[in-house]
Amino acid sequence: MDYNFKFPKDLYADVRIEEWYQIWLNQENGEVKSDGDLSEVGAIVRVFDGNLWYTATTNSLDEIQGQLDDLAKMATPNPDILENEIVKSYEVHRDVRMNYDGENDLRKVTRAYWKGMQDAYIEKCVDPEIKECNFWSCGISGNHRVKHFYSSKGAAIAYDDQCCNLSMFYGYTINGVTNYGGAYFVKMTAPELLGLEQEIIEKRDAYLDYAKNAVDVTPGDYECVLAPIVTAMFTHESFGHKSEADFMLNDKTLRDEWVLGKKVGSEKISICDAGDMLNHGYVPYDDEGTIAGKTYLMKDGILTGRLHDAKSAGILGEKKTGNSRAQSYHYQPIVRMTNTYMEAGTDKFEDMIAGIQDGIYVKDVSNGTGNSTFVMNPTLCYRIRDGKICEPVRVHMITGSVFQTLFDVDAVGTDFELFDSYTCGKGGQSVNVSAGGPSIRVKKLAFS
Amino acid sequence: MSTEMVRAKDVSIRKTSSLDFKESKLVSFSKESSLESSFRVYQDGKVGIYYHIGPMDDEEGYAKAAANLVRERPYPFTLETGKRARDKREKVMTDEELRATAVSCMKYLTDNYPKFRFEMKIHGTEQDRRTINDLGMDYRHQDYSVDVGLIFKHADSKNINDGYFQFSLRTFDETIFRRMADLYLANYEKEVEIPEELIIDTQYYGLAGRVGNYLNGEELARGTSLLTGKIGEKVFSEDFTLEHDASDGESWFSTFWDGDGCVLENDKLVLVENGVPKIGFADKKTAEQYGIPHTGPAYHNFTDIPGPGGLNLRIKRSDKTIKELLNGRYAIIPLDSTSSGFNEKGDTTMVISKSLLYDGDGVVGRLPEFKVSANIFDIFGKDFIGVGSDNPITYNDKQILYRVHRT
Repeated sequence: MDYNFKFPKDLYADVRIEEWYQIWLNQENGEVKSDGDLSEVGAIVRVFDGNLWYTATTNSLDEIQGQLDDLAKMATPNPDILENEIVKSYEVHRDVRMNYDGENDLRKVTRAYWKGMQDAYIEKCVDPEIKECNFWSCGISGNHRVKHFYSSKGAAIAYDDQCCNLSMFYGYTINGVTNYGGAYFVKMTAPELLGLEQEIIEKRDAYLDYAKNAVDVTPGDYECVLAPIVTAMFTHESFGHKSEADFMLNDKTLRDEWVLGKKVGSEKISICDAGDMLNHGYVPYDDEGTIAGKTYLMKDGILTGRLHDAKSAGILGEKKTGNSRAQSYHYQPIVRMTNTYMEAGTDKFEDMIAGIQDGIYVKDVSNGTGNSTFVMNPTLCYRIRDGKICEPVRVHMITGSVFQTLFDVDAVGTDFELFDSYTCGKGGQSVNVSAGGPSIRVKKLAFS
Repeated sequence: MSTEMVRAKDVSIRKTSSLDFKESKLVSFSKESSLESSFRVYQDGKVGIYYHIGPMDDEEGYAKAAANLVRERPYPFTLETGKRARDKREKVMTDEELRATAVSCMKYLTDNYPKFRFEMKIHGTEQDRRTINDLGMDYRHQDYSVDVGLIFKHADSKNINDGYFQFSLRTFDETIFRRMADLYLANYEKEVEIPEELIIDTQYYGLAGRVGNYLNGEELARGTSLLTGKIGEKVFSEDFTLEHDASDGESWFSTFWDGDGCVLENDKLVLVENGVPKIGFADKKTAEQYGIPHTGPAYHNFTDIPGPGGLNLRIKRSDKTIKELLNGRYAIIPLDSTSSGFNEKGDTTMVISKSLLYDGDGVVGRLPEFKVSANIFDIFGKDFIGVGSDNPITYNDKQILYRVHRT
């Protein structure tokens, strides 16, 4: 790597440099709405004296050394800084991991290629015979990032990550009311976005059927089956955020509630987080330089681990897990998920449905949040009657208690899927993550 | 034969100093400075755009924009001109002043509310926005604010957090911070019952924005808006008047000119008057495309051509205070709530996990979790109580009172 900084004496410092490339191309109803690309370089410089962090950002890499020097003047020199608990735990790795080169590098994909892909999807997936369709949009976008990390302890790391996105959305207007729905895909390389027509058409037709035929749900508690994409969100919102250890550091109530070894769910459930998977939450080294790994958060229903940065691991006396992440060079890192999923079980999807007399199948979901009550906003639901999937049903919101629902899972399917189409918001920062899981059956959730 | 090239540039400079508190302790001080430029060249009914983050020589930026004329982004409209500057900065704090203020605010919290844990961010942000072009346009808006965001958690709670408040001031006043902290925390531990009539007291920007979306000229013309065919019809409450207001008095880091470079007469556009939607809003392109009036505003777009948007929505205030509007009833101040969003019919469901009960003078206690439903046309229709003439609570800002229904 090319950078050689003069780090200040008697202080800890690190520098994170990010080179971004983005493209986007969006059409609505046959009109090009946006068409552009952007290259951006920026850095965040951090200095720590054992008491306070001092940080600055810049888009001029020539200014990094000057920023280091200016921040050092604000800090209080600490000859024992290397003995500071947090600094002492920082790892020192020297590594380069570039995963995308040659034709896999989206920076080498031409605008003509993206436009050709988009036009092909529009031709195949927009049906002018569907009279109810007043609106459609097709969006293609991509992000490529190269991240460099240097620390005063000697760390020097560089890696790249990227993602390519395709969305096809439709608006169906029936009796003056417009329902929107469609498909959204996130893949790691441009060629992986090819060949998705069948999935898009299935979603297109499902949402049209929903717009025409869905009836309002009678609010209440229902036994339900969650499709893998919904389980993924449930896992992320109901449990994933509770695993981020920074919320409990000096909070006795929460530490007593979430003590390792406690049974927190059905023995059918195991949940983990892994930053080294080349998916949307890929983080081979976190933004403190810690190497990634796989962390079991729950194993067979037992709380087995948490997600940490150096500070939370130190305070709780647990191992670092490589989960310190920042949205971009504009931010300092905080504890975040990466690729978080519920492992596959042994139950068959058909048996889950067959076992329900009166319930709901939740097939798709748009977003969710999690506190003690978690919330999910579904987009496609169907009634289950006498063991069969029946008519579409309109549901605004699904809620459940985090403390109870994990015990109410009585079947975990074999049909595991990992979804890269997720972003996660926390503390004003949004990071790319993936979330996954199989179909699951839950004895009771509240639908309204 | 090509027409002469006209060049334009949009610039946004932002400087922020931030202090971050975690677990009630100061953990970091940050400085950020950003420069964003959108270089544009107009020729033969097209525009070439180049967006850059960081310093860039103008000639290089315009050359890159000219190279992007190959993308053939259409802009066959008359370019605007005009000169006006607006400087809304009041008391710009130094880093030392900001730090001292932040530490003082946190000390007030920890001294007076030791049973709570706090996470707080305080930013001082200065912004300079400017648009110029070869035809002599020079529009500029400068602004500064101190923004406080506070998350609190009670020691006995099993939640990750229990509530949040925020507010922004151009001249920071610590007495307002203390008043807001007392309002939210003093009676937090006292549990009270859910009242029969549920009246929500909150900021209204999100709700107003939803109605604004329905008045997007493109949505109305396509037939995808719930207000399609209803312009001129009494749809909302007689007391509900909604306008886009870019005037000096109502600006908050917002420009008086829009993405097309247009400035409205009196800086305002009335969208709903006494319950009657008056007009859909449209930028130049949408107006031409659908044969509807060009009203503005257009949103600023640093990377492409503008479109309809960039609204700065304001609901006309009642001449009554919040207490007078409540008229002896209670209001609910949500602290931690999750909404389903508004569906295709304008319905919404909300889980209000944590909220406070307000009697018109102060907070009387904390409510248990409950779920409610509403419809956007009822929120501004039969369930609309009003926007008070004063700002007694809710982030020191305008607040709306509206009814919701228990589910």
